[in-house]
Amino acid sequence: MDMTNEQIVAAVNEVFKESFEIKQADLLRERHLFDDLGLDSLDVVDLAVGLQQKFDVKVRDDPRLRGIRTLGDVYDYVIELSLESQSDKKPV
Amino acid sequence: MGRILLRQLVGHSLAHEQGDGRPKKSENTRLKRVIISGVGAVSGLGGDVPSLIEGIRQGRSAVRFMDGWDELTGLKSLVAAPAELVNPKAIPRKYRRTMGRMSLFAAQAAQQALKDARIEDEARTSGRMGCIIGSTMGGAQSIFEAYDTILPERNITNLTSTKFFQCVSHTAAMNVAQLLGITGCVMATSAACASALQAIGVGYDLIRLGRQDLALCGGAEELHPTVTGIFDVLMATSTNYNNEPQKTPRPFDKDRDGLVCGEGSGMIVLEEYDHARRREAKVYGEIIGYNTCGSGAHISQSNSASIISCLSNAMKDAGISPADVDYINAHATATLQGDKEEAEAISQILGDNVPVSSLKGHIGHTLGASGALELIVSLAMMAEGAIFPTLNLVNVDPDCSGPHHVINLLRRKIDIFIKNCFAFGGINAALVCKKAEN
Repeated sequence: MDMTNEQIVAAVNEVFKESFEIKQADLLRERHLFDDLGLDSLDVVDLAVGLQQKFDVKVRDDPRLRGIRTLGDVYDYVIELSLESQSDKKPV
Repeated sequence: MGRILLRQLVGHSLAHEQGDGRPKKSENTRLKRVIISGVGAVSGLGGDVPSLIEGIRQGRSAVRFMDGWDELTGLKSLVAAPAELVNPKAIPRKYRRTMGRMSLFAAQAAQQALKDARIEDEARTSGRMGCIIGSTMGGAQSIFEAYDTILPERNITNLTSTKFFQCVSHTAAMNVAQLLGITGCVMATSAACASALQAIGVGYDLIRLGRQDLALCGGAEELHPTVTGIFDVLMATSTNYNNEPQKTPRPFDKDRDGLVCGEGSGMIVLEEYDHARRREAKVYGEIIGYNTCGSGAHISQSNSASIISCLSNAMKDAGISPADVDYINAHATATLQGDKEEAEAISQILGDNVPVSSLKGHIGHTLGASGALELIVSLAMMAEGAIFPTLNLVNVDPDCSGPHHVINLLRRKIDIFIKNCFAFGGINAALVCKKAEN
């Protein structure tokens, strides 16, 4: 995953627009996924699938998903995945 | 009056006869009367009931050549009767996310039917309204997509949570019940082409037994080349008219060569008679008899003997004789064997006086939706006193020559008609409807 933070935020937003039909204006980092954006437990599974397909990562069994509450948490989580993937690529 | 009383009291499932063959007049065996108070439809002829009726009245066919279907190697039948899915986003995403194409058709037809019947929110959520909807396949496109996700790498990690709900055989029933907030009996019938009529039969039984006051019943189906492909493999599809789609299917015709799949949904609201009368509901007709049975003879087709049994038992359930029947809306899909067996059964039991027609030439074989869609058109024929002819029936096949086939529009008073449906598994279903009494 070789993307800037801005590109990651834009790509996460695309997942929310494509999978959950949420308008760009509502995609603010402090928005709570359940309370503000209307997602539920089924949508969280589909969020994981959406992230897997958008970023070519495997996240479905990642326990960190359970701690995600806001859209900002999703941005931060994917940024963290990006850093991890870059770290994995560094020569030992 | 005698016949009405008989009808009120006799049900094959609860028939308790006295020594002289007459039913007991005991309150605990008294069955409720069931009327139809709302209808809704999506078909290849349009997204509502008026477009369906008007299209058939004008003798239009929804059958066309299906672009892209030739990409499925081995598929020989490249014609179908597609319906247009109009504005699915009118259904909120929370409900729509678990709906495939057929559930969306079902939801739209169901919304029409409830609006037509003027069913209030309290009735839907009272627990006294059921929702029974059938289909042959479940969500065919969603099933295809699910396996397309899983099979390349034998990997389920990219399977979405909503896919299951789009696929399964009760997808339409559960999705419609969720969308409309129906809290009574929710059930899916799955008997291929008899699914919708079985759904209506179940609703009829639930109401006449007093277990529900209302039931939203019907069926839905979506086109997919793999669905047509199943019939293709069984050599049951029309393959000679890919260049002349409007000329097929040809029920009962000597040049028929098989069925043409259609899609859409038909929904009706069944209602207990007194419940409907109290709220001055519209009444399209009364269901007075029903039967479903198996042939026990062949897995892929019914036979005349078991169709005769089904029709006889449906009439017995209704407390009528063959002389009381004014019209038969045939199953007649235009397969060589199926049409022959049905024609033979009808002529044996009803002779050649009762007009018979099939609607498959107009809207194709809508499989799990056919029983409901064709019932709705039959109700319109009863109201109009007109029998719409079998489209593409030009020369009656000598093998099907027994009944009175309707080839041109026939003006005829209909007080009682029978709707037939037959399905894979040798499954038969017949429903007897009577004109509403004011």
